[in-house]
Order: sequence, then C-alpha cells, then structure tokens
Amino acid sequence: MPELSDYLILGAILFSLSIAGIFLNRKNVIIILMSIELMLLAVNMNFIAFSHFLNNIEGQVFVFFILTVAAAEAAIGLAILVVLFRNRRSINVEELDTLKG
Amino acid sequence: MGIEKFIFYIFSVLLIASASMVITVRNPVKAALFLVLAFFASAVLWLLIKAEFLAIVLVLVYVGAVMVLFLFVVMMLDINIERMRAGFIRYLPLGILVALTMAGMLIWVVSGDGSAFNHSVLHGPSYSNTQALGLVLYTNYVYPFEIAAVILLVAIIAAITLTLRRRPNTKHQKPAEQIAVKRHDRVRMVKMKAEERK
Amino acid sequence: MIEWITSLLSFLPSGWVTVIIILIKIVVIVLPLMLAVAYLTYAERKIIGAMQVRLGPTRVGWNGSLQPIADALKLMFKEIIIPAKASKFLFLLAPLLLIGPALAAWAVIPFDAQMVLANVNAGLLYVLAITSIGVYGVIIAGWASNSKYALLGAMRSAAQIVSYEIAMGFALVGVLMAAGSLNFGDIVRGQEGYGFVSWYMWPLLPLFVIYFISGVAETNRAPFDMAEGESEIVAGFHVEYSGMPFAVFFLAEYANMILISALASVMFLGGWLSPLAGLLPDSVFEIPLLGPLLGSGIHWFFIKIAVFLFFFLWFRATFPRYRYDQIMRLGWKVFIPITIVWLLVLGIAILAGLPPWFSAA
Repeated sequence: MPELSDYLILGAILFSLSIAGIFLNRKNVIIILMSIELMLLAVNMNFIAFSHFLNNIEGQVFVFFILTVAAAEAAIGLAILVVLFRNRRSINVEELDTLKG
Repeated sequence: MGIEKFIFYIFSVLLIASASMVITVRNPVKAALFLVLAFFASAVLWLLIKAEFLAIVLVLVYVGAVMVLFLFVVMMLDINIERMRAGFIRYLPLGILVALTMAGMLIWVVSGDGSAFNHSVLHGPSYSNTQALGLVLYTNYVYPFEIAAVILLVAIIAAITLTLRRRPNTKHQKPAEQIAVKRHDRVRMVKMKAEERK
Repeated sequence: MIEWITSLLSFLPSGWVTVIIILIKIVVIVLPLMLAVAYLTYAERKIIGAMQVRLGPTRVGWNGSLQPIADALKLMFKEIIIPAKASKFLFLLAPLLLIGPALAAWAVIPFDAQMVLANVNAGLLYVLAITSIGVYGVIIAGWASNSKYALLGAMRSAAQIVSYEIAMGFALVGVLMAAGSLNFGDIVRGQEGYGFVSWYMWPLLPLFVIYFISGVAETNRAPFDMAEGESEIVAGFHVEYSGMPFAVFFLAEYANMILISALASVMFLGGWLSPLAGLLPDSVFEIPLLGPLLGSGIHWFFIKIAVFLFFFLWFRATFPRYRYDQIMRLGWKVFIPITIVWLLVLGIAILAGLPPWFSAA
C-alpha cells in the first residue's frame, strides 16, 4: 500500500506545479483558471489521504464541499471570461487596466 | 513492491506529467484536455485509498461537466495564442525557482516515516463509502450542505445573468410566431361594392 | 467452466489466473455485443424499411442477412483520410473515446442474478460517470477535424449532452431513492414481488419516460441528432472521417443505444425478472420447458432490451428533427422541472410506504 507521505508528496508537487503555471502563464486567464483547478485538486488529494489514513470520513466531507465551490467558481469564472472577451476582444490580463489610477 | 504501490506510481507519474503539460502546452484546448487526463489520474489515485464516491464524483462533475464547459469556452473564443505566450520564457526561471522552493519545502515537511500515521481500517465488502459519507453529510454537516446548495444556485443565476444578452439589431426568424399565425393576422377581408370599370 | 479454466492455468500464480478469467469474461461480453451492434444496423434498415413500405437490404445473403458483414468489410478496406491540418493523434483518438465508455459501462450491468462482471456497490454512479465521458469523443472529433461543420456539430452536441445529462441524473436519483441502493443487482431485486406490477416503471413513470428520451438525446439519435444533422451540417462532427474510424463512430452510436436500453430495462423494467413471476402460481414455473421460459432469466433481459431498441428505430422513422432551441427548451424548461417535482412526490410516497413498491421499508 502507498503510505500517507506518498500522497502528501504528490499533493505538494501538484501544488507547486500549479503555482508555476500561474507564474508562467500570467497573461492567459484560461490557463490561470486551470491552474487554480489543479491547486484545488492538490488540496483535495491531501484531504482524502488524511481521511483514509486517519480513518476519519470528515476529510471527504470537506472534499465534497471544495468540489461544489470549485464547480461554482469555474462556472462564474468562465462566464466572466466570456463577457470580458465580448467587451474587449481579448482575454489578456495586461489589457484589463481600465480601472488603474 | 505490491500491485497497489505499482498502480500508485504509474498514475502519480501520469498525473504529474499531465499537470506539467497543462501549464506548458501552447494550445489552450490541449491544456484543457491534459487537465482532463490529470483529473482521471487523480480519480484512480482516490479509488486506491477507498474514496470511491468522491473519485466517481470527480469524473462525473469535473470531467463530465466543468471541463466540457472549459473546452466549450476555449473553442469558441478566438484567442491569439502567440501574444498570450509572450513572457513565457522570461518568467520561466522564476517559475521554476518558485515551484522548486515550494515543492522542496513542502516535501521536507511531509516526508518521513508515514507508517506511524497509518490508522486506516480495511472494510468488508458490504461497507459502502457512499453511505458512510451520506450519514455524516446529512447529520453533522446538514447546514453546510444546504449552504453549498445555495452557492450553486447563486452560481447558476450569476453565470446566466452575466452571459445573457439580447441583441435587438440581429435579424432572425421567430418560427414559433410564424407557426402561431392565424388567418386574420395576414388577410384582411374587405367589404366593398363592385365597381364599374371605366 | 471457471473451475475448468482455473485448473487449466494452475501453473500460473493465482493473481494472473484471476486477471485471465476477467479478460475472458470481458471478451464473452464484448464479442456478442459487437455482433448485436452489427445486426442492429441490419434490423434498423429492415424495420424502418417496413415502416416506409419498402424492403431494405435484400441482396447479400438470404434476405440481406449478411449485409452488416459486407458493410464492415467494405469500411475496413477503405482508405483512412486524415485532413491536412488536423491534429492527427486527437483525430484518431476521438472514435476510441466514444466507443470506450459505451463498452466499459457494461462491466456493472447484471445479465442475471449471478451473471455480472463487477458487482460494485456504486454501480449506478459508475455508469453515470462513464457515460459522461462519451461527450469528449464528439468534442475532440469536431475540434481535431479542423473543419467548421465538424466544430459546429461538436458544439451543438456538447451543449446538448451536458444539458440532458442533468435530467438523466435526476431520473437516476429517483431510481436510487426507490431502491435505496446504488448496486444494480439490488436495484433489480428491489423490483421483485408481483411480476410486472412491482417494476419501478409505475411509481417512476415520468422519470422513466424522461430517462429514455434523454437517452435518445445522449446517443445523438433522431429526433435529437442535431450533432450530425446530415441535411444541415452535412453529418456534423464526423464529416471528415472515413473508413475504420468512421465505422468506430457508427459502432459507438449503436453500442450506446444498446447500453441505454439495457440500463432502462435494469432500472425500470426489472432486468432479468419475468413479468409473470409472483403473479402465477409456483407450479406453473415447474412445468418442463415452458416453466423456465416463463420464469425469470436472462432471456427476459434480452427481450426488454429488444423492445427499447425497437422504440429507438421507431422514433427515427417517425419524428422530424428538433430545432436546436427546441431541444434546449425541452431539456431545461420541461424535463428538469418535472424530474424535480417527481422526486418530491416520490419522497412522499416512500415515506408513506406506498404499496406494493415501498411497503416493505
């Protein structure tokens, strides 16, 4: 059987990769949204690993809520993206500076 | 090495590889497809530690719905990929540095002898992960559960109100009105006396 | 049979024997399925032909009975054309993504009281998750073809499948509530009792109808074949496909039809249960030859599947294609509200212990 630390290391690597993703694709809103999904996945991985290895089902309850909120976040994020593209013809983060003082 | 450990390593490698492809690949459509692969791999990893309900829900909700939404949006938007990629090389060293530091620190914290934390219990074949989760969810967590439902409702309304637009200037047919047309909408009966031709 | 194979393979370590036996079982399920798919196309041409007062295929074999094999051979030897600017890997992956789930879902479907490949606890969820993957085959096919008609078809199909999945999921929630289990074997056993009266199709009638119509929409069959729409977007997502990849799309569509029919008969029509078991006196089922035929068994399962498949073909011969906005309206504004209301009604019925379906609990 894989051990708790195996899952935690996997979660850590996944989380770091998604942070790197935000750094590398800082102009592309879509990839940033995907990186956020990856981050939540890494967090969920840890929750489920702890839930199994500590024999406590409540970790999985939290994953359930995270999945719910993340789905809502993705839906609203994409809706904002579509409105953004309609108004500006671009989803480049750098061009969204109309509110800058 | 047991078969479970073997499966764990195969799908961990697949997960990490597809996650790296998500953040580096040029085309956003391919990035979304790699993200789907990442979700699959993690669903298998969750199945391995007996979280069957959440693994299936991950496939159902993320692969079946959220990623379809992503793909839908990405395919419909006409994105200039070249301009989006500008700065990728410039930020590459910084990104790698941050990721390595982060990963190094996290691994340093969590690695070590994990066997002391192993309190997992092997359940019999009649044990249902779905049932166990439901028992907790509908008793101790019933209010958070209701709030989650409200959040989803708000998300639906928000997404619709954000993207709904009526374009008054477009010309299009309204087939329903065409079908519902009655005779008196189109033809007017006129009563008049016959006129003599001059 | 299984003991015989085990003894034959006794020189291998025991883990391998299990794997080999599972592989043999998979082949035993998939091969007849593929054959059934081939002859479903023949049945479709014959039945729709009869409905339209013509003959259908007649030349190959007796009364055209070898036509599907001839078609398969023809498609196998055709050239596989890959469009110049297509994404080659994804282009070839798409048909496999469509047929894979259609076959994988069979793993949890019980053919008989004992005959099931994997008796998992969360079978219903598994099927829901697996069938939701099929949409990727359509989307990827449409995108990888690099053609506007294919992309249009893929977009239509993605929106349609995702929309109808919600109504379908709610219908399955009704089954879950009625049976109190996610295991297909338990769902069928929950419908035992008074023959066809005990089947879930009666207390769940609106959900049953919605499930089947959503199933037609999910498989992209007429009258919901917007994704193909050969008269408006020239076959939609698979317009660029030829030869074997096209044949795989074709196989996947028909395999999905059989899958939806099998699921509907397991969940609403009592799977392998006989419609007469429990209604006739026990002595009837002990008559030689006739008794086992009337009693529960795998043959009833196949008969129920055949009835549903006939409905699929009947729909295609009868209804004109829906318009896109009509499909969306039907899914979101008609089906989903009805399912939600009926779940409420069902909850009350279960709490009240409505006989004969919910009286035991």
